[in-house]
Amino acid sequence: MNLLVLVAQTLFPYAVRTDPAPGLLRSKAESRSLHCEWLSLSEAERRQPGRLTPVRARGDYAEREVMLCEQQLLAAGTRAPGEDAILASLDATVTALANRTDSLGLDDRVWMVEANHPSAQVASKIAFATKNALMGGGLRVTDRSPTLSAGDVDVITRLGPEESYAAACKRYADNGSLRPGDALLAVMVRDRRETALHSGVCTEGNWAWLR
Amino acid sequence: MAAMMRALFAISMLLGAPARGASPIEEAQAAELERVRVEVADEIQLAAYDLVDELIVGWSKDPVFDEPTPVVLAGVTVPVGLGTGMAALLENHISSVLRDNPTSQIQLVHCPACTAVVVQSGPEGTVVSRGIDNPDTLARLGGATGQHALFVDIEAEGSWLVLRARLTQLTPDLPIVWSHTLASPGSSPALLRESRNLKSAAEARQEYLDALRDRGPIQIPVRFAVRTYASPFDDQGIPPPPFIWLQSGVELGATEARAWTASLLVGYSFIPQAYQGLMGQARVSRLVTGRVRSHTRPDLYLFLGGAVMTVWGPATAGFQDTVLNADQIIVALDGEGPRTAFGTFQVGADLRVGNRVGLSTFLEVMPSLRNSPNMGTYVRVLGIGYQSLGTEVTFWF
Repeated sequence: MNLLVLVAQTLFPYAVRTDPAPGLLRSKAESRSLHCEWLSLSEAERRQPGRLTPVRARGDYAEREVMLCEQQLLAAGTRAPGEDAILASLDATVTALANRTDSLGLDDRVWMVEANHPSAQVASKIAFATKNALMGGGLRVTDRSPTLSAGDVDVITRLGPEESYAAACKRYADNGSLRPGDALLAVMVRDRRETALHSGVCTEGNWAWLR
Repeated sequence: MAAMMRALFAISMLLGAPARGASPIEEAQAAELERVRVEVADEIQLAAYDLVDELIVGWSKDPVFDEPTPVVLAGVTVPVGLGTGMAALLENHISSVLRDNPTSQIQLVHCPACTAVVVQSGPEGTVVSRGIDNPDTLARLGGATGQHALFVDIEAEGSWLVLRARLTQLTPDLPIVWSHTLASPGSSPALLRESRNLKSAAEARQEYLDALRDRGPIQIPVRFAVRTYASPFDDQGIPPPPFIWLQSGVELGATEARAWTASLLVGYSFIPQAYQGLMGQARVSRLVTGRVRSHTRPDLYLFLGGAVMTVWGPATAGFQDTVLNADQIIVALDGEGPRTAFGTFQVGADLRVGNRVGLSTFLEVMPSLRNSPNMGTYVRVLGIGYQSLGTEVTFWF
């Protein structure tokens, strides 16, 4: 009997599977498919109502934090890993970007957004999310896009990333598609292997990297 | 030179050749990937519908426009990797829910030129774009200038499904007049709302809680129980037979959540020619699967309780504290048999569905019969030997 209790106590942590780390009953692939985040008790209570004991009126006797692990919506391999890495954290990325843009003090401008990614579908997602984040920050945003002539495109695509965005910015201002009251926020990956998004701002023909 | 031309020709033929046929393994992998995509899309579709419903609930409660306004559904995009079939389903759902909720002040209109690719050539150059991206051209094509375009994007971001929507005015400056982002954890079940009576998630939860509370704190349980008694270790005594009980009384929830409940029941047991019995029982139960009882999933309670029983009849001799001899058994069979009264303590678990039907099991100890030679113990925990094992089915009214 005692041996049974001992074995049960030993296996209990594995049986209840509260820890997202791989172990006896959870493979590495299974652990990788989880999306885990630390939450405060109040946030966890809001997200998973009824599953936690709320903080008592006079406080708890111990500091409590919650790690919430949920299955990722799309299984690994459903889409390209590079795209998945960008899209999985898109909301946090564009929110940080909008905060940074907001801090530039260009509130009087009308903002255009341009996104560059090897996948047009992902680029469209990035642009959509960025526009919403800028609107959320109280900025005026337009769906207009600055344009380049075929000759400009031919020249600019031969330049490296450092020069090409600055050159495009100048051409946008010169051809009038980026007006004096406009500002352009460009979001891009500079190398198709990277999963971080870079950004820069173009105002009146002047290009500045934000990130 | 000729050799170089031949080499160039060979390279161009190689580059221009059609893709080689996929191997069976690659075909199997592609088929498996497609199966996974379909499965995921099926799961995400309801969650995406839920987000669309939430978006339109928001418009109904706080309309973007003061009066009914024509809006072109300019684009619906779905998570990367899930194909376009889902986009068509979402478009239909958006149209259907908007039609059923005119208070949203958004009237979807048909505008083929808006989503068509248009080409405009002028002194500045040639611009190729969709109609909605070029309102000037749209106006020349007879498209509706001054309307609004609705863009909806749904994306799977980690474990979250995120919906982004924006409304753009179709004037030359294309200002975005409204935007909103909604997110829902993939683990939360879809509300499956009725489109004609849309409710927000908060309202739906309130309705759910109201439904939980509508029956009040007091309920009437009717319980059928079977108690079995462990055989003695030395096989010298005679254990009592299984007892069947019919019980009823009241159960009181300490709060509307019914996390704590207490019950007081009386019971009667009768098997002709064998035994009869009366009992009174009190229990306190604690919900262990959450803080509020659920309508949608089973609730598990743990309980502690006590009972007082009195039993009589030919088959109740086993409740005595002595080894029965042949005379005692014959006398018991001949008349009403001995009458015994004793107290018990119980511990057990109760699985309830919708607080209407429950199945429970418990262990019971009878302190006054702990040394009875007619009874053994099923299990011994913390020095307490439990002599009885019971199972119950309960209906709450």
